[in-house]
Amino acid sequence: MRILVCFKAAPDVEMLIDEDWAVDKKLKIDTSFVKNTLNTYDESALEIALNLRDASEALGTNVELSTLTVDGGGATAILKTLYALRFTKAVRIEPQEDLRFRPAATAAIICQYVLHHSPQDAVLLGRQSDIGENAKTSLLVAEMLGWQCISQATHIELADENHLMVTHQVDDGHIRQRIRTPCVFSVGDAPCTSLRVPTLRDRMQYGKKAVDVLSVEDFLLPVETETLTGLEILRHARAGVIIEGKNPAEKARVLYEEHLKPMLSQK
Amino acid sequence: MKFKCIINGCLSHTRAQAEELNGFISRFLDSEASDGTTIIFYSQKDERKALPGLVPTQRAELVRIDRYHPESILDALARIEYSDDADLYLFPSGFAGSEIAVRWAFRQKGSSLVQVKHIDCTRDRVIAKKTAYVDHVLATFRLDRRPFCLSPARGCVDRLPIRARDNLVVTEHDFTGLNKGIRAHDFHWIPVEHAKHFENPRFLIVGGRGLQNKENVQFLKNMADAVGAEFGISRAVALNAWGPMHRLIGVSGTIAKPEICIAAGVSGAAAFYAGIEKSKFIIAINTDPLARIIKSSDVVVIDDYKTVMAELLKFFTFDGANEA
Repeated sequence: MRILVCFKAAPDVEMLIDEDWAVDKKLKIDTSFVKNTLNTYDESALEIALNLRDASEALGTNVELSTLTVDGGGATAILKTLYALRFTKAVRIEPQEDLRFRPAATAAIICQYVLHHSPQDAVLLGRQSDIGENAKTSLLVAEMLGWQCISQATHIELADENHLMVTHQVDDGHIRQRIRTPCVFSVGDAPCTSLRVPTLRDRMQYGKKAVDVLSVEDFLLPVETETLTGLEILRHARAGVIIEGKNPAEKARVLYEEHLKPMLSQK
Repeated sequence: MKFKCIINGCLSHTRAQAEELNGFISRFLDSEASDGTTIIFYSQKDERKALPGLVPTQRAELVRIDRYHPESILDALARIEYSDDADLYLFPSGFAGSEIAVRWAFRQKGSSLVQVKHIDCTRDRVIAKKTAYVDHVLATFRLDRRPFCLSPARGCVDRLPIRARDNLVVTEHDFTGLNKGIRAHDFHWIPVEHAKHFENPRFLIVGGRGLQNKENVQFLKNMADAVGAEFGISRAVALNAWGPMHRLIGVSGTIAKPEICIAAGVSGAAAFYAGIEKSKFIIAINTDPLARIIKSSDVVVIDDYKTVMAELLKFFTFDGANEA
């Protein structure tokens, strides 16, 4: 089974302080000084794929993992890590333009990669990226490919060479079902799926392979039907009054007597 | 403007979806200039009777399908919506609503936006706002191509009860058996436990990554039970399986509106904060004076949450005993 995992490395915006949040004339926010990371959705998608490969080894079937990102170079370290985790192929597609809020363009690239460059049986993506928060790319990939889509996937197991057992979250529960490939999986809140760390030995042996780089010019991008016209920084400041006290007991007393008790005693 | 509300009655929270969309319509659409229809999908015959009471518009189309599956809803919609006359489709917040909004827009060659917080619309164009940059930024989009398919952000509007309509026009469709070819087998439904009053508790205690393990999460849950508070967790806690996913607070979980919220061991990441920002009063307990939650709270205790909570419990117990 050929599985492609697509991810988006994004700056860890939680590292920005209030003064860093500023929007320029091109509707961009300077995050160049912040380290790029994987968000938990993408991390889960990658780890779920690795678990599928582990299971395939035990079952004697073959799972081949590859990974793709549309990125200007900030994901190179992550791609090398994925090689060290023995992904067979790591591909970076160099964008020429701002794709933060263009999920249809990103989906078209992934779709055309699968159709024209590297056929796959399953495509896994995190449900949304940290910057655009569009929550659309995986759904659009499925629509463009004409494949079944399972959204909010939290657990995937190998059933046989053509089927996967998937558990996915719906609004008031979970559904567990057997799915025939090809299929797109949009990975949601999947507990216990932090991406594993490769051994130093695997980093040395596998992690130095060159990443395949393709130009976005090799792909046809659709016209987006939604256009970004503004960005406004949200501030959530409250009073932040610090309760003073010699010890935790005194602080708890002040908190209880001055705040909790009066509020909770109001009917 | 012609608009349609799409409600998924196959799931258990049909009324919540209807009231949410009713709140959205009331806040953002001009009722004089709007002409609305509600399409409700359902699967069980015995659910049919209650559906007319969940219609926020003048007309309703009740559509029976085999069971909830996005393809069943999309295929049935394609059969009903052949006339191509709707300008705007409104889907509920939540997983099903946002998924179908995006996929329906693609199939209709329209525009879509999910997790929407605000809209301003005319027949030819919608200006919509949603968060980006992990909830640090409000982004404005112009949607150019109708139909416009939107799904609101959780908690962006208050639910508005549906008023009964004597003159409701109802059309019925039966599309059971339509999607026999869907490649799903061994289908198992696993319902999730929902805490009562979880969205609107009077008093909420939430634990974050600083709790560090399952035992400490249970400790805080016990504290919440002892003082009569609801208990929630941050995403980091849920993803580490220290607490159950259905207690998740934040953009991908519950948007809570308590009167008092204690955030213990919480860093205050924006995606989490969105889940408690509607609290009337926020108390942070954290050892880190530089944590983001400090500036976003009304009062702050800089100390170990475990010790402070244990001390707080003594006051609750003492007062409770005296009242008794």
